[in-house]
Amino acid sequence: MHELSIAQSIADGAREHASQNGGRRVLRIGVRVGEISGVAVEALQFCFEMTVKDTDLDGAALDLEPVPVRYRCAACGHEFHPVEFLADCPACGAIGASMVAGDELGMSFLELE
Amino acid sequence: MAERVEVRENVLKENDRIAGELRRALAGRGTLCLNLISSPGAGKTSILEGTLEALKHTPLRVAVLTGDIQTERDADRLKRYGFPALQITTGGTCHLDAGMVQRSMARLPAGDLDILFVENVGNLVCPASYDLGEDAKVVVLSVAEGDDKPLKYPGIFRRARLMLLHKIDLLPHTRFDRDAAVADARRVNPAIEVVETSCVAEPGLGAWTRWIEQRLHEKRQADRPARD
Repeated sequence: MHELSIAQSIADGAREHASQNGGRRVLRIGVRVGEISGVAVEALQFCFEMTVKDTDLDGAALDLEPVPVRYRCAACGHEFHPVEFLADCPACGAIGASMVAGDELGMSFLELE
Repeated sequence: MAERVEVRENVLKENDRIAGELRRALAGRGTLCLNLISSPGAGKTSILEGTLEALKHTPLRVAVLTGDIQTERDADRLKRYGFPALQITTGGTCHLDAGMVQRSMARLPAGDLDILFVENVGNLVCPASYDLGEDAKVVVLSVAEGDDKPLKYPGIFRRARLMLLHKIDLLPHTRFDRDAAVADARRVNPAIEVVETSCVAEPGLGAWTRWIEQRLHEKRQADRPARD
């Protein structure tokens, strides 16, 4: 349950960007949550509402965009969504794919008033 | 009218910033930093006790930061070996973050330090997300647990450089499938290295302490141009 500290980091990041943009009110925050990032989206949503309640961010919506894991095969270049995070390439059978998406936890956009 | 501003940044950028500071500070001192992660009870503290006992007989200067939600018990256990050991009590937080490590580093005695061990809070999920400025994450999987942990918690096995297959002496008494656990860890992370350890019987901790010494040597080689 580290979602509360992550919610806090999202709120801090949003405030920083809002103040760089003339201190406008934040309406919406977009965050990309990789499938393997270890973050539970329901818990993060709940923690975010809790952490911004009665603050300048109260009422700001949190848009959590799940990002599925994608691997790229080192041998043949095929990109695929792995079964159970296993790195076996379904096209050529080689083991040794690298992850190209799915472990990110990143802010993607802000909607400002 | 509402305006959409595109942003591309890591949510944990503040953690990553501090981790970057830590990494530079550790490189400047030539210190190898290892972040030990496992579920509760896998044997992190016992491994560290055995490691400190072994390193006591070398000229290496070592320190330990150990994280727990409550109590100073682990630091008390680890102080017996003559090296500085500080407890980080997180008071409910399920992982260490870079800020906690940085604040504790400041409380360690000044001077040369060859190896800093960071024992994370027992948890296979949350600690995986936090960069502590370490050179490597080390995941400990004991054979008293399920052999399917690499598939159930792929995040940490993906990010770890080394897996210690611990309490390996218990293998004959469990249904743990060693080959399956190693194969699954490698399918999740083809580059993961595996070392078998036991605190009470053969093969002991020798292969693990040799691994540490190799990493220290590697780090010294890599840092040398930067320090010249």
